[in-house]
Amino acid sequence: MSRLNIFTRGLIKDNAVFVLMIGLCPALATSSTVRDGFGMGLAATFVVVCSNLIISMLRKNIPNEVRIPIFILIISTFVTMIDYMMQAFQPDLYRALGVFVPLIVVNCMILGRAEAFASKRSVIDSVLDGLGTGLGFTIALTIMGTLREVLGNGTFLGMTVFGEAFKNSPVIFMIMSPGAFLVIGILKALINKYVKKEL
Amino acid sequence: MKSPALIFLGAFLVNNIVLMRFLGLCPFFGVSSTVETATGMGMAVIFVMTLAAWITWIVFNAVLLPLNLVFLRTAVFILTIASLVQLVEMFLKKSYRALYNALGIYLPLITTNCAILGVTFLNIDNKFSFIDGTVFAIGTGVGFTLVIITFAAIRERLDMAPINPSLKGYPISFIAASLMALAFLGFSGLFGLT
Amino acid sequence: MTSIRQMIITLFVVAVTCAIILSFVYAFTEPRIAETQAQLTLSGLEEVITAYEYKVIIPDTLWQAVDSSGENIGVVFRVFPQGYAGPIPITVGLDNDGKITGIRVASAAEGLVETPGLGAKITQPGFTEQFKGKTATDVALEQEGGSIDAITAATISSRAVATGVKKGIEMYGACLMPSCDPGIVFSDADKFVEVIKDTLWKAVRGSDTLGVVFVRVVQGYLDDIKFMVGYSAEKRITGISILYSQETEGLGEVIREEEFLEKFKIGIPEAISGATVSTKALINGVVKGIERFEEYIE
Repeated sequence: MSRLNIFTRGLIKDNAVFVLMIGLCPALATSSTVRDGFGMGLAATFVVVCSNLIISMLRKNIPNEVRIPIFILIISTFVTMIDYMMQAFQPDLYRALGVFVPLIVVNCMILGRAEAFASKRSVIDSVLDGLGTGLGFTIALTIMGTLREVLGNGTFLGMTVFGEAFKNSPVIFMIMSPGAFLVIGILKALINKYVKKEL
Repeated sequence: MKSPALIFLGAFLVNNIVLMRFLGLCPFFGVSSTVETATGMGMAVIFVMTLAAWITWIVFNAVLLPLNLVFLRTAVFILTIASLVQLVEMFLKKSYRALYNALGIYLPLITTNCAILGVTFLNIDNKFSFIDGTVFAIGTGVGFTLVIITFAAIRERLDMAPINPSLKGYPISFIAASLMALAFLGFSGLFGLT
Repeated sequence: MTSIRQMIITLFVVAVTCAIILSFVYAFTEPRIAETQAQLTLSGLEEVITAYEYKVIIPDTLWQAVDSSGENIGVVFRVFPQGYAGPIPITVGLDNDGKITGIRVASAAEGLVETPGLGAKITQPGFTEQFKGKTATDVALEQEGGSIDAITAATISSRAVATGVKKGIEMYGACLMPSCDPGIVFSDADKFVEVIKDTLWKAVRGSDTLGVVFVRVVQGYLDDIKFMVGYSAEKRITGISILYSQETEGLGEVIREEEFLEKFKIGIPEAISGATVSTKALINGVVKGIERFEEYIE
């Protein structure tokens, strides 16, 4: 597989949220606004890239029998890192994302890539793979965030989009929990219909 | 401080773990194709969730907090849960074979169930006492079970209905979940709960 | 096949390395986090009353607003009344006349859980601005005798804010208002010399110190109890007044009754059965206050 393929695979063909259907919890919970979805995506990307990097670097030294606990240790270290960094430098985002920041540690996408790829491939390949997967996740969350914020709040990143009248009575349903399910359901249906399988 | 009954109700209905808090979605969609599997998963979740809540609460309040190691919370909790699940699996395999066979592959799957880890974090964030934390965990588990069984019942029907091919599978499931969530929104404000 | 020893060593090394790395991350970010938190609180305070400095009286709850020359210009407090969907964090600024200088309702990002688009409108200036200049008596919904215009279709949230602010003023602003006059509990004195702001006065007549008057807050059954006590050099309680209480109607609220309060002038009364928590809280609070402040009577 070429380097480019490695990167785009996680981005599109095996997109975590829309194709593999993993990482759904943060996808639905943190996509009520563009900022939250994008921020969450970047945080998860940081973790998957860093853990892929380290796991790949150490792959020859990790005994097979205890590899899962070691992967978890490494992943949770990076999750805790981004947790505290976000608290220090982006407190608003941190408050909005809440418990989902430490929950990045159980995002199946990260452990999945560690097990399936980083533990077996070179460092550069693993970093690219992490980047692709993470950015694919980020794009998915941002798309959902856009739909939900624009329709549910009348804003995009806080800027009013359809004018004050709409902002005063937007489709509140979108920002709330049922809206999240509906948005991803319809997006998935559209993807099923219009996106060819061979991609 | 809320009474245990209110904490239970809050966790069970008003702030339902799946439909309101968005935790436990992977098993919710993955293990709900039949009511039987859903029940099995639900039971396993209640069991593990309560045990995990107990152990992590003790570890946090007796070890991490006094030793000023709060920043190790994430790592310690997830490793504790992973180990707990491993131990439970081994114990069931040896002593309660029937139950072990019934739960099958659900047990290891529970490790990455964000609901379990989520509940342990929420117990700490909400500063629950041991009893309150237990009630919260059980309430959440029961809420999860209620929702996953209901959803499985709906899905069994959906599988037999004529649905547009692009909607089949995940999309229609999500839309069904959306309607369920809408219904659960109605619990908001029950007994003055969030 | 790796030996058990190797496995354990690897696990241990990785675990310890991770823990060490994280302790560095923690040490690095912790001061920054505390600073951001303090900054956030400060800007929240500045929004409701402009002052040179905010001195903490009760951590995270009550601040003294002070101007550049050290004069007290008012107080800032936080209350968390129960709204429609959960507690509503409100910051209130009060000037020395007991008039509201401004209120600020926390946004959803800061913990507000009221319904977006409906109850959440209480954060908007259109609603909060009307609290400016009002006193505790005016702070109630129009339909309930006050002058606050509720938000359409968000009455519960609006009422919660009004009640919360009003209670807050009674609770924390009491000593800015006439009801906190030390003379109420020590009628023999001519003058009161403030020793600790809003907390302790010396009761003086001529050149003699007759006793002290102090204000204390204790935890009651349902809520805090704020009271003022006059204590004379003859080791007698000259008077006691309840400034704030929200105990159970018909039970704990007995602490406000003349019959009960008069007992303090004779000696330390017994707790009243059926309202033991409330009455005991008050009694213990009075006793502790006397122990703490009687030395100020020279």
